[in-house]
Amino acid sequence: MKKTNPSFLNGIPELLVLRLLSRREMYGYQIVEEIRTQTGETLSFGEGCIYPYLHYLEAEKQVSSRRREVEGRNRNYYKLTARGRKRLEELTSEWKRVTTGVSLLMGVQHG
Amino acid sequence: MARTDFIEPLRRRLVELGCPIVQVRRLVQEVADHREDLKLAALSEGLSGADAESRANAQLGDPLALAEHLMAALRRSSWWGRHFLIGFCVLPLLAVPVLWALLLFLGLSLEFALGYGWDWKKLHVAADNPVAFHHLAMAVHGADYVAIALATLLFCWLARRSVVSVRWMLTSCVICSLYALFFWATIKPHHFALGITWTPQWIRAAIPLLIAGVIYIFRRRTTHGFQEKVTV
Repeated sequence: MKKTNPSFLNGIPELLVLRLLSRREMYGYQIVEEIRTQTGETLSFGEGCIYPYLHYLEAEKQVSSRRREVEGRNRNYYKLTARGRKRLEELTSEWKRVTTGVSLLMGVQHG
Repeated sequence: MARTDFIEPLRRRLVELGCPIVQVRRLVQEVADHREDLKLAALSEGLSGADAESRANAQLGDPLALAEHLMAALRRSSWWGRHFLIGFCVLPLLAVPVLWALLLFLGLSLEFALGYGWDWKKLHVAADNPVAFHHLAMAVHGADYVAIALATLLFCWLARRSVVSVRWMLTSCVICSLYALFFWATIKPHHFALGITWTPQWIRAAIPLLIAGVIYIFRRRTTHGFQEKVTV
């Protein structure tokens, strides 16, 4: 039986956060801003609502955090762990599978 | 709205909603940092201090609604928070007997390993020996009481960890208590029975309620202490 995608569709925020953290260590505000700007303001997290999500990823050991002072500001920085990297690979391949499927369908409809 | 006018209601509401103090500290700190970043961004765009504050607050929204949202997100982030009905109503009924069987197995294994070796036939010999049988009965009933207490503590801890409301913690304790009230194990020489009894086992039933009461009072005292300490 072909597997369905509901869990993946719920996993889009996870994919975005893990993707951003795979590039560099970031703090909550930065992540929200990057999602907003890099998706052309198509997608956005509610201000402040990113934190429970980051805590969940931390509990799942997909990210780790540390308090760090940069330019006189103390913030919690999050970075990807090995488990998070593996999860990102899974989500990325799933994303490619879904977008290929959707593109095929859209191509047929537009054609 | 000054910083304290935003952060203080957020912190208070998180505590009221049963968020563990450690989580409250961390969430409040991170939201305060986030608010500061929003304010700095507004200042860099040329807004005045007061306008930057107002915009940062407007972007974060109502602090009480934000607290509710944060709590909902925290709950959704764990299996126990998403499936509280199964987790805190059904699973306690299974957890008590499983824990009891596990403890009994461990206890008897230890007892037999030390006293009788691993010989099944010697179990019958032990059953005829009043001293050895007394030990057996103690192990069966001791495991029963310990399992009830452990299951209650386990579900209280899980409720705390998954930040579900105190109502679900108390529900799981009541379920454990009901189980303890009517389910019973009896042991006599060469006879062992498990089942439901219509004679309520009040002492067993009191264990989960007592634990729930102690944890509830401790939680309230900790919460009040934290609220007062921060207010002062």
